[in-house]
Amino acid sequence: MRVQFDAMNNGPGQDASPRPIVYFDGMSSRRRAVVLGFADQLQINEDEQAIAAWSYADIRRADSPSGTLRLTCLTAPALARLEIRDANVAAELTACCTRLDENIPGRGGIAKIIGWSLAATVSIVVMVLFGVPLAADRLTPMVPQALERRLGEASDGQVSVVFGKQVCNNAAGQRAFAKLVNTLRETAGLDTAVQTAVLSSPIPNAFALPGGKVYLFRGLLAKAENADEIAGILAHELGHLKHRDNMRELIYNGGTSFLIGLLFGDITGSGALIFTSRSLVTASYSRDAEQNADSFAIDLMHKLGRSPKPMGELMFRVTGKEGDRSISILASHPLTEDRLARMSNEDQPPSGPPLLTAEEWTSLKAICNSKS
Amino acid sequence: MDQISLVPRHPPPLPLAFSGDRKEFFHLVVRGAGLELITVGFYRFWLATDIRRHLWSNTVIDGDAAEYTGRAKELLIGFLFALAIIVPVYLAYFVASLQAERIKAFASFPLLAFFYLFGQFAIYRARRYRLTRTVWRGVRFWMDGSGWSYAARAALWAVLVGLTLGLLLPWRDAALERYKMRHSYYGDLQGSFEGSGWEFFKRGWWLWLLAPFALYIFPLAPFVYGAFKAVEWRWWISGIRFGGVSLGSTMPRGALIGLYWKVIGWIVLLALAFVAYLALSAGLAASMSGMPLKQFFAPQVVSKNIPFLVFVGVGYLGFALAINVVLRLYLLRDVWVRVLASTSVHGIEAAANVSARGDLATALGEGIADGLDVAGF
Repeated sequence: MRVQFDAMNNGPGQDASPRPIVYFDGMSSRRRAVVLGFADQLQINEDEQAIAAWSYADIRRADSPSGTLRLTCLTAPALARLEIRDANVAAELTACCTRLDENIPGRGGIAKIIGWSLAATVSIVVMVLFGVPLAADRLTPMVPQALERRLGEASDGQVSVVFGKQVCNNAAGQRAFAKLVNTLRETAGLDTAVQTAVLSSPIPNAFALPGGKVYLFRGLLAKAENADEIAGILAHELGHLKHRDNMRELIYNGGTSFLIGLLFGDITGSGALIFTSRSLVTASYSRDAEQNADSFAIDLMHKLGRSPKPMGELMFRVTGKEGDRSISILASHPLTEDRLARMSNEDQPPSGPPLLTAEEWTSLKAICNSKS
Repeated sequence: MDQISLVPRHPPPLPLAFSGDRKEFFHLVVRGAGLELITVGFYRFWLATDIRRHLWSNTVIDGDAAEYTGRAKELLIGFLFALAIIVPVYLAYFVASLQAERIKAFASFPLLAFFYLFGQFAIYRARRYRLTRTVWRGVRFWMDGSGWSYAARAALWAVLVGLTLGLLLPWRDAALERYKMRHSYYGDLQGSFEGSGWEFFKRGWWLWLLAPFALYIFPLAPFVYGAFKAVEWRWWISGIRFGGVSLGSTMPRGALIGLYWKVIGWIVLLALAFVAYLALSAGLAASMSGMPLKQFFAPQVVSKNIPFLVFVGVGYLGFALAINVVLRLYLLRDVWVRVLASTSVHGIEAAANVSARGDLATALGEGIADGLDVAGF
């Protein structure tokens, strides 16, 4: 910002006589009218007495309104100021002080700021894409099971607020459900910390909570046509437990939210930017976790001598074809038709015994009927 | 100075002047918005500093302009330090809320109170930073007092204001201003605040009654809010004292309403321009994809068209930055100018020979305020 010496004047002494030069010594607010002497140093004289001498090389410009040249000196008290309102004196003095503008911030520094922020951006992006997933993978096994269970209990509280915690507990249905879950659990090599329940909610869904809780909703059970379909879904959720995906996603989401929030600072409307970019990266991470849980389910069903295809069919029955409706890079799960295709590829004729007898399957379907 | 002794016992009040050029400020914020975009927001420290330097150095009191001596690097360092504090606090908050959730679902909300306290602390410390960077006649302003003590007062008063549905707001403001001002100094002149809650209430009670209506009837809101801000400014300025120097304000109630309408007008215009731009880029993207328009605008096609999404993203950013420029121009610079124009200084001779005192404060408070997204004056 160059000071322009126009006719404008802000101080007293607007008359034709030379405008006074004002000196503030930085120790008091006293306004001292001074006379300048241009020697080998800048002499500042008040009433014929020298009160300060500034070497030209140490004189710097300070912020001032246009029409005033305000100077400071590196070797004088930090707040000592010399104010010159006379254009001729200002021009003469500016010519003497060769390093006047060396401390003006921003001068030539803009490129540096841009360079550093680009570097910071690149480093944050690299962190989000590679560092945080790695950290999540490495940290997850280190989180004690007890903490994870506590986390599960916390989210369990919210689940019962959101979905209503009506556990279906028809006795015969419970027995069938326990048998199915135990078969899957033992084959998967998970311990008895796994707890499962059917919740009486019409939403066709199932999910796993950190610390080993799996919930199946009545809505999904109602749409299922055989035990293998439900077994596949449960196997998928057990896969999440086995991989501790909840913990991993928690660490990952926390890390990326923080880093992306850091990146976009406080540009107005950055909320939308943060939301979009976060959805993009976390969705891709979550899709990977879902793929892995699917692989786990396929594997488990094969071990039991059953086909994973019914699971894909059940999901397809619930969601329909998704490709037309959603943007695939924003989806948290792989498209259902792709998952169905994958499971159909893994289809094989059953070689093991059915997981539930026809009678048990009927009781499981009726687990939410409170009578009997 | 000699001339002071010639002046009668009660010198006329001195008006304050602003000598800044509006166009220069406009260029400053436009350039700043552009650089903020390029640097994904990191430029905000430099922009905030440049804005303050412009406003301070053009504020002329008794013939001498003030000066802002803060530098952007201090803000950046303050921000980094604040991060080092906020990150562990966030983690501790996370663990604490887990414990609380276990006892009762959603019981973690009271913990937000802690963040409120932290935010108030930051507001106090940020004010302290700005004040110690404010220099007039070679002497700086400064502040002591405790940020935590202030935060505790602010929080207790906030509870009372909440319980009385805002009726006690004037008394809260008066109490907090008294605390802030009696810990503010210009050199060895101690500040004080003489505005009372009752005075503020007398001037603004009818706005309090109108506020519920303003929430529902849109055209009323800018009038009510603008009048409230004007009443608040006038009351605040009139209460400020530094030793024998006192400020007075004659700001009329309607002084700021026009500015708020101008901002609304600009936002509407910008929104229209944004919509027109969206239509144009949709047309362009459709012709690029070679699909007939009708087919292109089916929701499942248009939401998957990458060039169109890129157009939308760029346009949105431009829109947001333009709004930023409008807000800074009208609600920062123009409000500043109008407040100064209605302010007068009495007894400035008491500041003619003040000794310099006080130390610089760090920008930590500014950093925390930036990290928590709180603002205060």
